[in-house]
Amino acid sequence: MSGHEGAALAPTTDQVEGGLSKKGLSAGTVGLIGAVVIGISCIAPAYTLTAALGPTVSEVGLQVPAIILVGFIPMLLVAFGYRELNNRMPDSGTSFTWASRAFGPWIGWMAGWGLIAATILVLSNLAGIAVDFLFLLIAQVTGTSSIADLASNPFINVTVCLLFMLGATLVSYRDMQTTQKLQYFLVGFQVLVLLVFAGGAIVEMLNGNAFDATPFDWSWFNPFAVSSFSAFAAGLSLSIFIFWGWDVTLTMNEETKDPDKTPGRAATITVVTIVSLYLLLSVALLMFAGTGKGEFGLGNPDIQDNVFFALAGPILGPLAFLVSLAVLTSSASSLQSTFVSPARTLLAMGHYEALPKKFATVSPRFFTPGYATVVSAVVASVFYAVMRFVSENVLWDTITALGMMICFYYGLTAFACVWYFRKQWFDSVRNVFFMFLFPLVGGVILGVLFVSTLVDSMDPEYGSGSNVFGVGLVFVLGMGVILIGIGIMIWQAVTRPAFFRGETLSKDAPASLRRRVA
Amino acid sequence: MSGRIVVGYTATKAGADAVALGSRLAVASGASLDLVLVLPNEERSVITPPDPGYERYLRGQAEQWLAGAADMVPASVEHREHVRYAESFAEGLTAVADEIGAALIVVGTAQGGARGRHTIGSTSTELLHSSDVPVVLAPKGSRKTDASAAVPRITVAVGTRPGAEALLQTAASLATSTGAAVRLLSLVTVDLPPTVDTGVIRLAGAAHADDVLARAKAELSADVPTEVVVARGDSIETAVRGIEWLPGELVLVGSSRLAQPRRLFLGSTAAKMLRELPVPMIVVPRALGPSVPGATHPEEGGR
Repeated sequence: MSGHEGAALAPTTDQVEGGLSKKGLSAGTVGLIGAVVIGISCIAPAYTLTAALGPTVSEVGLQVPAIILVGFIPMLLVAFGYRELNNRMPDSGTSFTWASRAFGPWIGWMAGWGLIAATILVLSNLAGIAVDFLFLLIAQVTGTSSIADLASNPFINVTVCLLFMLGATLVSYRDMQTTQKLQYFLVGFQVLVLLVFAGGAIVEMLNGNAFDATPFDWSWFNPFAVSSFSAFAAGLSLSIFIFWGWDVTLTMNEETKDPDKTPGRAATITVVTIVSLYLLLSVALLMFAGTGKGEFGLGNPDIQDNVFFALAGPILGPLAFLVSLAVLTSSASSLQSTFVSPARTLLAMGHYEALPKKFATVSPRFFTPGYATVVSAVVASVFYAVMRFVSENVLWDTITALGMMICFYYGLTAFACVWYFRKQWFDSVRNVFFMFLFPLVGGVILGVLFVSTLVDSMDPEYGSGSNVFGVGLVFVLGMGVILIGIGIMIWQAVTRPAFFRGETLSKDAPASLRRRVA
Repeated sequence: MSGRIVVGYTATKAGADAVALGSRLAVASGASLDLVLVLPNEERSVITPPDPGYERYLRGQAEQWLAGAADMVPASVEHREHVRYAESFAEGLTAVADEIGAALIVVGTAQGGARGRHTIGSTSTELLHSSDVPVVLAPKGSRKTDASAAVPRITVAVGTRPGAEALLQTAASLATSTGAAVRLLSLVTVDLPPTVDTGVIRLAGAAHADDVLARAKAELSADVPTEVVVARGDSIETAVRGIEWLPGELVLVGSSRLAQPRRLFLGSTAAKMLRELPVPMIVVPRALGPSVPGATHPEEGGR
């Protein structure tokens, strides 16, 4: 590991003999199936699609399948950059550490902030979706449909959501893991239910029972049929969200049993599974419900923030509870894997003194970043509670703002890759693509999406139509998060200047290997 | 005694209790310490993606913690530190103990509970279920006892059940290596099913106590000063409370007859005693493995 002098989080001490640890770290413990299962459960397709399908339809109409396919491209390009950085500087701070190494402390700090903000947004959205489906499940099982309506009472909703959050925090703090078999079962169950759901929608449509039968058309796969560039951009930033988390399969490397083959294969299998599922489901639901604004139409703003919630009943009838169960379990396991990422970034920021040292503390009993986990949970809970009362449609607005934040920090990370490896670009043909072209193009796409979404979202009618003093809520959210980040950063720079002087984490660019050899 | 004592360390008060008691036993018996910090094996992680960066950080933190633990060990005691990856705390400790042929495993028990008393957490329980090496439970507050304090006496709780040979063997070698006296404690009078009426208890107590104690005493070497005491009371709790304890004393109990041979399991009598004991308790498996305290082990000293 020649390239990360000073970058490894672990202080190396020679006073301790580690001769007894049979295996160094977790080398070679994750097999192909394990990696695919982790990948799918991080993406949580049942959850992401129910949350993102409605807002995407509202932007691009029937061209959802096209947007899903196109959205994968920037994700893939950026993931390549991610992998390069992760191989060179494996560090729990990920985007924060890498951007600091490439561009210095200020941009690094903001990249870390973007990651934390995005994951906190998704935590509150996840918990919100889980609450909806919990009530729906109870209603379906007991046969009293009025229970499902309780989820729209803000007080009941916030209370239950906070309880969910508390449970997830405990699970994360104590690092409780399910057994491998249970996890495999849950992921298999999730995929199977989604297949049944899609199949049900198509069968109902063919039998003439659809709500708004819309015959399939290949133009759904044509991205150029989208009405405007801003709709295209907004749709894309949403479809980036649905692939978010996929990169973990690609970046798992030394942990896999066969580092040469497993990560690539796992990433491929995961993405093929996910993309097929998404395409099948979006096509099936479009065929069944159309894009109209009627009761079950995908264009109906009342159901758009959570489409499975509304459509499971009409499509599957008595079996609808399976969908609730799949979304619930998918949200629950995703909640845990999502919790890990802001906590570990906060830990790294604490460690490099970009935040108070307290964030770097590890629980001596459970070996998790305890303090950082609790802080993330508290912030996500407060955020959800406030949003539930401010926004007309909290889930919708958080998802849109989330897409924007992902573009922000993924974009920065992609550029960090390009800049960090600037002396090695032309070492080999492989480097030209993986260190320069791919991440550069990916970063530019995400940058354009970020700016375009930001500008469009100033319109008070944007997204769900929530606004604050005549400015779109999504814009207020996105800008607010970034401005708060800058504020805290300046405050930290005053009270804790060491990091901002580059004393704890220095800028670097690994030299060209070719020149060194020559 | 050239034996090795494994100390299960966590950077908590319970961990400090274990280091302090382990140090005291090492000083008293001339053993060396192996401070072991067990980190979770990533194999168990099926939800959260593995993160080598975080693992490195954790490893560094673990080594720092161990360095802190090593500072608590008196200078005269030889000690090594290990970071171990395992499914669980108990699994990691028993694996290390087996590998190095350790004589004892010391763990702290404090997580809540009154000062000076034991509360058994899930990790200690798991250890008691799986270890084939005697397990020393350090009660809360053990860290406040001076490491150079001698072990004045070892009390061996003798019941009517099988397993006494291993128990006495451990007691004898511990007594020899620490220079402690031995007190045999008969729980016969209280260690009977509650349905048996009091008259029978008295009779059984009188008849059995003398018999069992006499046999036990005979098994101990004549060099070890041995006294005998019969516990009295309606329940184990009152019986234990009514007994005099010296500061620094140790209590040995045999594991339950329900345990598999050579595995520990805390029987109900021992569990009840544990709650009342103000002193460290050592739970001895029914039959001992190859490593007996004080006995030389082929692998010892080679590392």
